[in-house]
Amino acid sequence: MRTAVFFCQVGDTSPLNVDSVAKYASNLPGVEHVEVLGVRPPLDPPRIAERIRTVRIDRIIIAGDQPGFFKPAFTRAMDLATRSPQEVFLAPFEAWGAPGEDAEERAKAIVACACRGVPFTLAAIPAKTPVHPATLVIGGGVAGIQAALEIADAGKQVHLVERTATLGGHMAMFDKTFPTLDCAACILTPKMVSVGQHPMIDLITYAEVEEVSGSPGAYKVRIRRRARRVDVSACVACGICAEVCPVRVPSEFDAGIATRKAVYVPFPQAVPNAYVVDGDACTWVQTNGQKCGACARKCPKACIDLGEQDRVEELEVGSIIVSTGYEVFDAKRIDRYGYGVLPNVLTALEFERLTNASGPTGGRIVTRTKQYDKRTKQDVWVFQPDGPSPRSVAIIHCVGSRDSAYNPYCSRVCCMYSLKFAHLVREKLPEAACFEFYIDMRAFGKGYEEFAERIKAEGTHVVRGRTASVQMVGEEMVVRGEDILQDRLLEFPVDMVILAVGLVPATGTEELAHRLGIQRDPDGWYAEFDYDGNPTETQRGGVYVAGMCQGPKDIPDTVAQASAVAAGVLRSISSGRGSGHLASLTLSQIEARAKTLSRPT
Amino acid sequence: MAIRVNPLLIDDLERYGAEDVQKCYHCGNCSAVCPHTDETFVFPRRSMRLLQMGLERKIEGSLEPWLCYYCGQCSTQCPRDAEPGETMMSLRRWLTSRYDFTGISRLFYRSPKAEVLAMVALGLVVGVGLVAWGLGNGGDIRVYDGERAFLKSHHVHVFDWGMAAVLVGLLGTNAARMWWFIMYRDKESRVPWWLYVKHVLLLPYHFFTQKRYAECGERKPWLLHLALMLSYVTMLVLIMFFLGHMQSDTWHWQAHLPGYLATLGLLGATAWMMRGRLKKITPLHRHSHESDWVFLVQLFVVAFTGILQHVLHRTGQPLAGNVVYVVHMMAAVPMLVLEVPFSKWAHLVYRPLAMYFAAMRREVLRAKVPAPLPAGARRVQAA
Ligand SMILES: Cc1cc2nc3c(=O)[nH]c(=O)nc-3n(C[C@H](O)[C@H](O)[C@H](O)COP(=O)(O)OP(=O)(O)OC[C@H]3O[C@@H](n4cnc5c(N)ncnc54)[C@H](O)[C@@H]3O)c2cc1C
Ligand code: SF4
Ligand code: SF4
Repeated sequence: MRTAVFFCQVGDTSPLNVDSVAKYASNLPGVEHVEVLGVRPPLDPPRIAERIRTVRIDRIIIAGDQPGFFKPAFTRAMDLATRSPQEVFLAPFEAWGAPGEDAEERAKAIVACACRGVPFTLAAIPAKTPVHPATLVIGGGVAGIQAALEIADAGKQVHLVERTATLGGHMAMFDKTFPTLDCAACILTPKMVSVGQHPMIDLITYAEVEEVSGSPGAYKVRIRRRARRVDVSACVACGICAEVCPVRVPSEFDAGIATRKAVYVPFPQAVPNAYVVDGDACTWVQTNGQKCGACARKCPKACIDLGEQDRVEELEVGSIIVSTGYEVFDAKRIDRYGYGVLPNVLTALEFERLTNASGPTGGRIVTRTKQYDKRTKQDVWVFQPDGPSPRSVAIIHCVGSRDSAYNPYCSRVCCMYSLKFAHLVREKLPEAACFEFYIDMRAFGKGYEEFAERIKAEGTHVVRGRTASVQMVGEEMVVRGEDILQDRLLEFPVDMVILAVGLVPATGTEELAHRLGIQRDPDGWYAEFDYDGNPTETQRGGVYVAGMCQGPKDIPDTVAQASAVAAGVLRSISSGRGSGHLASLTLSQIEARAKTLSRPT
Repeated sequence: MAIRVNPLLIDDLERYGAEDVQKCYHCGNCSAVCPHTDETFVFPRRSMRLLQMGLERKIEGSLEPWLCYYCGQCSTQCPRDAEPGETMMSLRRWLTSRYDFTGISRLFYRSPKAEVLAMVALGLVVGVGLVAWGLGNGGDIRVYDGERAFLKSHHVHVFDWGMAAVLVGLLGTNAARMWWFIMYRDKESRVPWWLYVKHVLLLPYHFFTQKRYAECGERKPWLLHLALMLSYVTMLVLIMFFLGHMQSDTWHWQAHLPGYLATLGLLGATAWMMRGRLKKITPLHRHSHESDWVFLVQLFVVAFTGILQHVLHRTGQPLAGNVVYVVHMMAAVPMLVLEVPFSKWAHLVYRPLAMYFAAMRREVLRAKVPAPLPAGARRVQAA
């Protein structure tokens, strides 16, 4: 095969020395033509076709940070040159980790594999290493819970580190899950309880990973346990402390639509079911013990130690599972939807809590009403259980997703949770009109399309065209948008707007990636080893990813991936050998393996 | 009738400046933020759709591109960087080339080189012709006005009228074709003759006020545009009817004063517009097609040489005056004969026509029963 290698970059930030990689490529067997085209080059298929014809090329390799971007032009050129358009292959640097250390060597290896027609991930398999039998799970959402249980149930030790004071993650906040409309808590709570009680699981809440050292199979991890100021083993969650606490702050668990005290339990089913003192809010902590301290005095078990300090502890583990999940897109960034200004524009998470039977209104869907706050002497907008029900609700899809100004990717779950919301609105408020504004309805999973049809049949008005704005027109809140299937511009006066906000990686993802030495995608999610062939491991031996932190996915996919990760961990423990770092492989090792794997020409 | 699809339509439009039509995923954001969209004409998304589907005939018969004034709101807010505003601009170029039956417009837009070459060639012919004419008719290159003038104003005047006739003929056929595509071919909403009478005053109204441009939000671009257009029309009237006065040795303030004002308007506005395009101030300016530059530079040169020959004449330098006069004609004739009917200039005619057609179409469609709305929703009314 006469091969041509074209180097094209999408971004110009890469410190990679492309010229030297190109020089290397020109010496590879079969390579007849190498061209460095630079950053976002204007590609003219007829001109490339001309080149293909003159050099008599029958295979093209596009090398670069994201070469897929340029593929159409080259495919067209091959077609124009009457060569097989199938013979265009990619050597993607970014996907296989060439922006990291040893960028140049890695890029060379990627190009070498592409020229030999061997998938890089097949040629670059690092050597195996012995594995310590204990596992660290970072993040106690449904992904972390599932992985921890699978491994612990197999009789292996697990340390589960969770940043907040309780297990559960986002799923604990939901009322129902799509598409089955099962009760979320009924699925999650038993799992959380099992984790709390499991003899093989060491649950470390209110803590974070501070440092990771060692090597695959034998990691040393330093954990900072933040001062909880309540003795978990003694606390019986009677709640007397919270009754006397005078401080009120927005509740994270209620997505900010209700308040909690400075000493609190995140929610009644929390695991561990113990109170926690929020040092940032606590008067005693903030005044260095000068003021307050009421809770500690009133606690019947005397288990509150307001002066407690952070503690650091070290663990030795063989494998690390990262399952740090996500956060929702900050809707304030898009002014035209009025979030943060108009009181009845909510984010999806806020609505989840509003409609949840354990939420501040007991699950009644109401609009915010004005109330006079005696302390601040100001009017505030609050949800009250006896507040007025909205007569019409608009749900706007793709807020912050699929938008070149914010996140280019599809967040995958918002179409479905929006349909779930529409169902809940119509079920609880049959009189209310519900409008759903979408661009494309992504109902891709098992039973999802049927769910979407069901919601439409229930009387939700599904309008194709994402709305442009939410504005106050006099006393009315008006949603304005194009109904693209009818080519008409419409205005919808509504009482409540729910923004189907997209998803972004959890705060601290970047730092954690750095500490763990793992890569991230251009969108910020942790990068898996190989999206198709090995979606659970990372390029660093013994470090796995599970759940949303690897990319948007729903609960079924999250749980499936978590179980798959557990299988990988158990495989390495029981065989005594786990994968090493990809980075430990040298270029000549990869070259040699590619050579043996390459198809005979 | 079966609908014919032209799959290469977008490729063709790319030659007119469009770039990213395929990126559009039809969220409808652009239409909803557009200050000009109303209940009948919802754009620019619809145009993006028609293009993606290759519905050439529908595009040919669409009015929307002429109702857009490129405030750029849509492009700024488009989540896909699909540049709907630029697509509308390219469509105006494309439509201009469709209305023109000669194919010259198409050639100019697709090959700026051909455009410039044609200008230069015609300019040279005019230059040589004028010199030959001047000398052949006993003119003296050192005399500007009177019996022995090099270029006698009554000769030039006749020439101007001839040119005007050609121009009107070409623009007339273009306008007729525009009507044919948009109004005649539309069998669904036939416009009765009396509506043509009823709305006819819209033509001069929109021509002289360009009111729709003012609705874009910012007033400055509109004022600038209006100043340019009014100066241009003033100048045209002066030249067509008062050329003798303008060029005589004596003062005729009725002709000279408006002449100076118009020159000032032309020079100022073109200079300001060129600055905007260079600095890429608004979305409109971010993409400049070669034809936009030809338009501005040519107009500037014509206005500048026009006033220069006048100044030279007035300051007693008839020789230099005559030379610059010839240069002025070398620039002005190609502008009037080639640019005005075949290029960007033609929108002078199409814009008011479009407003006229749109008003009639709106009235016809309003009488029809619209599709039912979802409960509680209402249509956005025309501004
Ligand atoms: C409004 C909404 C509704 C949804 N409804 C549904 C539905 O009905 N059905 C469905 O299938 N899916 C639904 N989803 C998707 C679902 O929430 C996710 O698929 C699922 O929660 C992912 O679980 P996870 O464990 O990966 O992440 P998370 O639930 O986010 O859990 C991550 C955990 O990691 C912790 N953590 C983060 N960083 C660190 C760190 N550095 N150190 C230690 N711990 C850390 C967090 O505190 C958290 O507890 C919905 C999503 C949204 C936004
Ligand atoms: S899942 Fe639906 S709402 Fe969410 S980003 Fe994707 S298309 Fe938009
Ligand atoms: S805003 Fe952009 S993507 Fe959306 S319909 Fe308009 S052109 Fe298409």
